[in-house]
Amino acid sequence: MTPPLTSPPSTAPLPTQRSEFRQFLRVLFRSPGAKIGGVILLVLITVALLAPVIAPFDPTAMGAGPILKPPSAAHWFGTDEFGRDLFSRIVYGSRLTLMIGVIAVCISMTAGVLIGMVAGYAGGWLEAVLMRAMDVLFSFTETLIALAAVAVLGPSLTNAMIAVGISSIPFYARVTYGAVLVEKNKEYFKAAQAVGAKPVRLIIRHLFPNILSPIIVIATVGVSVAVLSASALSFLGLGAQPPSPEWGAILAAGRDYFKRAPWITTFPGLAIAITVLGFNLLGDGLREALDPQQRRS
Amino acid sequence: MTRYLIKRILGGLLTIWITTIAVTLLIHLVPGDPVQIMYAQSQSTTPEQLEQIRRNLGLDRPIYEQYLMYMGRILRGDFGTTIRGNQPVLDLLLVRLPNTLLLAVSSLLVTMLVGVTAGFFAAYKRGTWIDTTLMTGAILGISIPSFWLGLMLIYVFSIRLGWLPVSGTDLKNLILPAITLGLANAASVSRLTRSSMLDVLSQDYMRTARAKGLGENIVLSRHAFRNGMINVVNMLGLQFTYMMGGAIVVENVFAWNGIGRLAIQSIFQRDYPTIQGFILIFATVVVLVSILLDILYVWIDPRITYS
Repeated sequence: MTPPLTSPPSTAPLPTQRSEFRQFLRVLFRSPGAKIGGVILLVLITVALLAPVIAPFDPTAMGAGPILKPPSAAHWFGTDEFGRDLFSRIVYGSRLTLMIGVIAVCISMTAGVLIGMVAGYAGGWLEAVLMRAMDVLFSFTETLIALAAVAVLGPSLTNAMIAVGISSIPFYARVTYGAVLVEKNKEYFKAAQAVGAKPVRLIIRHLFPNILSPIIVIATVGVSVAVLSASALSFLGLGAQPPSPEWGAILAAGRDYFKRAPWITTFPGLAIAITVLGFNLLGDGLREALDPQQRRS
Repeated sequence: MTRYLIKRILGGLLTIWITTIAVTLLIHLVPGDPVQIMYAQSQSTTPEQLEQIRRNLGLDRPIYEQYLMYMGRILRGDFGTTIRGNQPVLDLLLVRLPNTLLLAVSSLLVTMLVGVTAGFFAAYKRGTWIDTTLMTGAILGISIPSFWLGLMLIYVFSIRLGWLPVSGTDLKNLILPAITLGLANAASVSRLTRSSMLDVLSQDYMRTARAKGLGENIVLSRHAFRNGMINVVNMLGLQFTYMMGGAIVVENVFAWNGIGRLAIQSIFQRDYPTIQGFILIFATVVVLVSILLDILYVWIDPRITYS
């Protein structure tokens, strides 16, 4: 479900063949962090896919149990103010979280990589205008951009996803731009240019495959950033709206019963933290595996 | 140095100028009729009244004229009035801005104190259990949502132990929000400090300093720490920006009366004049502080001369 898992290994710069890809995986999962991250994400994806099988109750069914009851054998994570089963809500919420993370990253990655590549390749005034615009956006922080986007579009889950996606565009653009500048001066690129390759071919066939690895790394970590931002928007009431089982929205609704029923706010927060941790650990692992120069003991 | 300063200030002015354009366009990007959306929730207004409002806001004129009008008003310190209550937007923002700055600066102190200490020790004790524990803590720290951390701190320290108030605006109320926002960013600062210190610790001058018989404390404080801090101090401006962004969320957890809380309220109320004012003030503060911190950085590190 995540970009690094679905991107075909044949286009990656390092693993060009099957055996090399296997070797890459071996290097990747040698680090205990990447192992733990991989397991967390595997569990998360399984839970999301099998939600109807795993969840004992309908996530929006009121009166599945008594109201505001602490965790018990019948309701593992307790119940909320409508007697809904919190465990079932969190299980179904994993689908929303993964969807938000992946879609938001797709938006920011597509736009950011495009802007970064065009700016880096074209140079001149186009480069100046695009990158200056990215600098301005970058200095505003993602939170402000996301808030401005929600202020324009109005609060909803879809709009929060779009807002979070837009807010990270400058980051992807900058990383891509930096990578393109390096690649542009390498022999192979100059050779391709010299034999008369057209700009589109140069960008797609030569530049893109070579800047893929840093993009894969930041996209993996990017999912965790997107999940955090989107859940913060939902927490503020600007994202998913009740009765959606989105984790940030559950948490926000639980605030009213915080003293009486702290479990309503505790479990969704834990779920967010564990998910984000999974993507962060895998991202760290990927960075080390793809960039052997980086020293981390 | 002077040239660098001028370039930096011009860049900052450019950013603020672009923001004013973005803020003017903002209201036009709203799908549907912004005036109707703004007043939909407040009171039943007649079409004539809506027309009057549109004229007052200048929305019936061409866009460049609106921009010039808006700029003219802003330069005179008039940010418009709120949709509900007709209060001057600038006053509302300026009353709350010190609260946000206080929160951001206190959090920055927490971030630096915790992040730099953790990163320094992790690097010094590289490969030991101390390093592993600290860096595990750091990756957990960047994964925990700040609003959740805030709520959990409230539960433990305010509800269970009763040590600190749940919310409010006196100084005692600053402790939990500052710790929440500070810890959230300390995690990333500690990772940065660690990698920066690892670089420094492997430098030749470290071996030289030890070889000439300096005590370990002097080697660490005078040679390692100072050089390791250069990268960290360079990140101060960016960290401050993160604090300002994070404050928007944390203010809402603790009902801290800053501009972030006002911003969320005005988004709910579709109060576009306040949202526009908020974005402008936020951008201006972030740009100004970044420039100030950059100057500080050049002043601290004598090796850096921007030409």
